Amino acid sequence: MQEEHGPAPTIWPLGFAVGIAVALVGLIVDPQWVASAGAIIAIVFGYLWARDATSEMRRQAPVVQAEVREMTPAEAAAIPPAAEGEAAMARPEPGERFPRSRFLEASTLGLGGLIGGVITVPVAGFALLPSFLDQKSYRVDMGPVSAFPLGKWFIATFMVDPKEGETSRRTAFVRNNGFVAQGSKQVPSFTVISNRCAHLGCPVQANGPTGAILGEKNEIEHTKNGEILLRPVLPAGFGCPCHGGQYDTEGNRTAGPPVRALDRYQFDIVNGHLVLLSTYSVSHVVGTGAQAKIYKYKLAGPGEHVDGPEQWFYPLNPPHHY
Amino acid sequence: MAEEKPTPLELRRAGFARYKKDVKERGKSFYPFAMFEDTVMSLVVVAVIVGLAVLWKWTSYGPHHDGLHKGVIGPEYAPPADPGTVSFVPRPDWYFYFLFYLLRIFKWPESVFLGTIGVPTIALILLLALPFMDVRLERRPSRRPVAMVAAVLTIMSMAILTWKGATAKEALASEVIADVPSWVKTEKLPAAAVPGAKLFATAGCTACHTYLGTGGSNLGAPDLTNIGTRNLGISFQIRHLECPSCVNPGSPMPKFASLGTARLRQLAIFLESSKGKQ
Amino acid sequence: MAIRRAPSKAQVRREQMLAAVNYPLDWLEERSGLVGGVRYFLFRKVPSDTNWMQTLGSATLTAFIVQALTGVILAMYYKPSPHDAYASIQNITDHVTMGWLVRGMHKWGASVFIILLFLHMGRVFLFGAYKYPRELNWIVGVLLLVLGLTEGFTGYLLPWDQTAYWASVVGINLNGTAPFLGPWLAQFLRGGQEISGDTLSRFYSLHMLIIPGGIIALITLHLYLVIRLGVTSPPWSKEAAGREVVEEPAPVRTGLTRPAPHGGGRD
Repeated sequence: MQEEHGPAPTIWPLGFAVGIAVALVGLIVDPQWVASAGAIIAIVFGYLWARDATSEMRRQAPVVQAEVREMTPAEAAAIPPAAEGEAAMARPEPGERFPRSRFLEASTLGLGGLIGGVITVPVAGFALLPSFLDQKSYRVDMGPVSAFPLGKWFIATFMVDPKEGETSRRTAFVRNNGFVAQGSKQVPSFTVISNRCAHLGCPVQANGPTGAILGEKNEIEHTKNGEILLRPVLPAGFGCPCHGGQYDTEGNRTAGPPVRALDRYQFDIVNGHLVLLSTYSVSHVVGTGAQAKIYKYKLAGPGEHVDGPEQWFYPLNPPHHY
Repeated sequence: MAEEKPTPLELRRAGFARYKKDVKERGKSFYPFAMFEDTVMSLVVVAVIVGLAVLWKWTSYGPHHDGLHKGVIGPEYAPPADPGTVSFVPRPDWYFYFLFYLLRIFKWPESVFLGTIGVPTIALILLLALPFMDVRLERRPSRRPVAMVAAVLTIMSMAILTWKGATAKEALASEVIADVPSWVKTEKLPAAAVPGAKLFATAGCTACHTYLGTGGSNLGAPDLTNIGTRNLGISFQIRHLECPSCVNPGSPMPKFASLGTARLRQLAIFLESSKGKQ
Repeated sequence: MAIRRAPSKAQVRREQMLAAVNYPLDWLEERSGLVGGVRYFLFRKVPSDTNWMQTLGSATLTAFIVQALTGVILAMYYKPSPHDAYASIQNITDHVTMGWLVRGMHKWGASVFIILLFLHMGRVFLFGAYKYPRELNWIVGVLLLVLGLTEGFTGYLLPWDQTAYWASVVGINLNGTAPFLGPWLAQFLRGGQEISGDTLSRFYSLHMLIIPGGIIALITLHLYLVIRLGVTSPPWSKEAAGREVVEEPAPVRTGLTRPAPHGGGRD
């Protein structure tokens, strides 16, 4: 037998909170449908909640007579002191299966968890996912093939994405190997080696004379990718200034800590222009120039083995553009 | 029966209770007795920081202020970042020199991740686990020989790694080429050897070899300051440069045939003229 | 019977002054208890024999406060984008009034902070102050050292000059060589496949907000534990607090191989 005291516990706020959560997640996932579905849930439950909460004001409140009765000493002793926390909660009626205190405990923790989730999902997603999604691929126009005489090395410096600016500036060592037979066709062959060290990514330098000592002038090609600086060089190999890694002219490691050969650029010839595409990793190269047999792998970060038993340390690479 | 021996935990609790009691009875008030010393020390710290900032600015300052000027404790900034550079030698801040040099020590591809991740991770785990490895109550250094020896060894190895990292030099073509005139003077090189000397400075030879103190010795290649005294002959030098492992089986030196015979001859003349300090 | 003299003017004034000073303090104390907390912190007992070496901890805190203050001010002039970062650093160093001083204090304060962290850790090690019941505080201290080094690493990129850029390339790739998750960690730090403007702004956020937040939280915990557990005496001190006074018989000299009669030699 219950007197009417005030609003009874209600589950409408729970539904309201779920609706808000769905709407927020929907803003990320699918603003049109999921978000509006969440909004509808929130509005419906919000209305029910508000109706419930204001029911008192909308009708004549019953006059509740205060209960007056002397307590027996035994009853008085049974009341725990208020300071004793959990013990101070009202005792459940015998036979009551789901007391109010348990309900409040569960819904407080549940609602708290919901708040945590609603905050964590977008924040963590925002912080983590963009690093791995939508990796752009690119094409770099290096200028006409005629700018690269047969067999000559150039240190080519270019911007991968002129819109991104200086941060996308890269350097590669480029050599024209002439034509090579592929089936019945003769296709041009280039060696395009990235100057990023396969140890920890330092800027690899050509071991060989350039400029005045070589007696040749730098050239600049103007292309869709802006200025491409071509510095003639006669490398005996490549070397890294950080931790002393050394490479031969095909990019094979000859000494020091690098774990594999230097990365290379894929290339294409479009309208007589040399176009660089994405980079790929190389474990080693057998042979030289047009006859080289390149052991290709998906692009891996510096310091990652692509072959041998150590490759099992890196079973799953984050998404890259290839 | 003898009375039961207290367990180690009971001993520790008793020790801490004794500490609390002693401090309560004989201790001094933090303010002002201990705090005075703290304040003096903090003043020293702030003074050192301001002093370093002033030294940094005013030794790199001149009539034509140039932030790139090195001053006494380093430039105010390096040239702007250039992701496409081919003439820069990266270095970390000084407190990562130990790690930087560790990477040079692990100079075999199979051991790279020991230097990058392995050793620092092990060090960190040992540091975190220290209170659980050393559970004796004894605090006097004289009674903790293992801990003290370990500490001294750690400090020494960190100091040596930092020192080696700070003094590690790189043989960059653009820097080594500046030494050529002094080589000519010190070794009394003939004019015919100068083109070879310039080639030697720029072709990466000094990445592995040293010459009059210039160059890297990390990879263990021989010093070439007085290679000429061995009178190996121009034609041998050319053959050796074209294919080192053909002449000298097992040699790890890369082939330099791509430089072309004319340039290899210049190099050979330079090597044969290098008779040490004259 | 003593005659109660009326208080002199000076006395009255002093009492009025005291009341004026005390009133706001009492007001604050009644409503927050903060004054009592500060009094407890200041007038708590420490061992009578503390040493100059034990000032290294508070010196480290001072260095951190210098870093926090100068860093917050630098943020007013620094622009974390690859296009502007270098120019804003030049502007701070060469043109903004006292900019060279604030940036210099921040740059060199970092080194001083790291040195003091190591010295303080060395002192704690020497004193054996990481032992029961202070194990947790040692762990908090090691975490503070790691966060301090991370601050150094993330801050090093911000000037966006050659040293900054390439040291960060190597530092990020170092993490990339960790087995299994390394490549993912490196790509997260870069904010993509290559170092870009995103890398700079995320290092800025780490350096400015996330790591300092962690450091401040851990320093609070560190200090709470210091106050709760107390400061150790130098272990060699004759009056060391907590030292057990044992009447030890003079050790009997025995041969190296012959065990001591009471099974000594074990600490």
